[in-house]
Amino acid sequence: MKTLRRAAIAFLMLVGTAALAPELWAPADYAAQDRESPDAPPSRSHLLGTDLLGRDRFSRLVYGTRISLLLAPSAALISCVTAGLLGSIAALSGPAIEWAILSAADLFLSLPWLFLLLSVRAFLPLNVSAIASVSITFLLLAVLGWAAPARVVCTGVRRLRDSDFMLYASAAGATRGQWLWTHILPNIKTLLFTQFWVAVPAYVLAEATLGMLGLGINEPLPSWGSLLHEVEGGSIGSQPWLLAPVVLLAMVVGSFQFLAKHSQSGPLEDYS
Amino acid sequence: MLKLVPKLARQLIRMIALTALAGLACALLVRFAPGANIDDRELDLRLSEQTRSALRAENEARNHLSSALLGYFRGLAHGDLGYSHSRNAPIADLISDAAPETLRELSAGLALSWLAALAMAIPSGRSFPARGWTAASSAFTGLLLSLPAALLAYLCLSAGAKTELVFALALMPKIYPVSKNLLAEARAASFVDAARAWGLSESRILWLHVLPAAAPQMIALAATTVALAAGAAIPIETICDVPGLGRLAWQAATARDLPLLINLTMLVALATTAAVAVAELATAWSETEAVMA
Repeated sequence: MKTLRRAAIAFLMLVGTAALAPELWAPADYAAQDRESPDAPPSRSHLLGTDLLGRDRFSRLVYGTRISLLLAPSAALISCVTAGLLGSIAALSGPAIEWAILSAADLFLSLPWLFLLLSVRAFLPLNVSAIASVSITFLLLAVLGWAAPARVVCTGVRRLRDSDFMLYASAAGATRGQWLWTHILPNIKTLLFTQFWVAVPAYVLAEATLGMLGLGINEPLPSWGSLLHEVEGGSIGSQPWLLAPVVLLAMVVGSFQFLAKHSQSGPLEDYS
Repeated sequence: MLKLVPKLARQLIRMIALTALAGLACALLVRFAPGANIDDRELDLRLSEQTRSALRAENEARNHLSSALLGYFRGLAHGDLGYSHSRNAPIADLISDAAPETLRELSAGLALSWLAALAMAIPSGRSFPARGWTAASSAFTGLLLSLPAALLAYLCLSAGAKTELVFALALMPKIYPVSKNLLAEARAASFVDAARAWGLSESRILWLHVLPAAAPQMIALAATTVALAAGAAIPIETICDVPGLGRLAWQAATARDLPLLINLTMLVALATTAAVAVAELATAWSETEAVMA
């Protein structure tokens, strides 16, 4: 299992490094059009062919990977930090604050978030810039995704709060701040890491779903969602190279999920 | 049974409150989204500035949060869900037309996904042949989990598969790992060892001891899958062009139809909270029965 874990990390690092500097790998800009050869099959100059507008598919895949792989972890980070803060506050404060935070989490968990995401995404103006659309999409994912990890963190912190070593710390005169920084945060780190690994693939898949429904990131900026939208319009029987983004998406999401599943080790593993 | 009445009342209040809050949250998010009051027609350069202002004013009046919500809840009290300007029809009619299709597909999809997940989870274990089966099942469900539901729908549609199968493929990988762990936990209990020592066959142990022990948590999991299925309905029905609630939601979103969207969000929130309430009541009832036994 350790070998597979290392392989997943190595693969993600490889894809992540390639996505960080797409200019080095991509033969063309994501928006550059080769008007002489629209919808061309793979060739030496276009490794995965071109789309209907003559844009190099391989370049768009590399640039699209950068967007999905930079923004999904950023959104997951925002969710996890919010969840860590709110979950800890809920567990360490009085019953009224705990009730208020957990009720808000319950509300977010019972909301059909795809409906909300779809609604807000659809209500964006049609002339919104591509950068604004991508930022809003991932920010929304971050806002809607804090509830489940917050509940997990709250349960974890509550157990830590009631543990013997916290009792000793209190008896030794530790303040609330010392509790949080010295004892709670180091102990819930593993828990937050796991929630992070769970959130990243979920956000990548959410963006891909929105993209396939035509409500993803605006053109000409590529993302995995918009590249999958192209799969829907083409014929995979006669153009199997269209499946390249599907294969990459499955491998990346699969690696994240594998890491999430196998990062649940440590003292808090039973909390999730 | 009487002990369950306060729990039932609490669950009902929770359901109503969460459904109303879901509608409010949807309205708030949409109202404060950039471009909430912009009409597509405003992009038509042939229109004069005066006409555009009139369109903006009309949209603002229609999307005014407090008056829209007040009007909506007043209508709801009389059984009127409002009117969809994009579909030019009463919302109640649109929902009643689309709901049977979604219900049929969701129930068939959920049943299929549970059957498939249990069929994979029951033979899973730590012994030699079961370990291979577990690894293969985990790899298969892992692959399905790595693909968005919309893509699964497209691939199934290309292969000529039915929509129910898409629902099953989208939901089964979420049910399988949890049910596998629940069954493994139940199998590790001491009463199962005792039953084995008494010489009971594995199938009898499964039906008489393992499944009943895992049932309360399985019911809770079933409630979660209802919520997951409701979410999956949008991409699946849209890609497969099924005239259900999911496609209606997508059409409402693309047509920027706020009243229809709020109604659909509240309906899905109601279904989700109702499923959770039923699961919690079933768990409470089984615990009461166990104490009495």
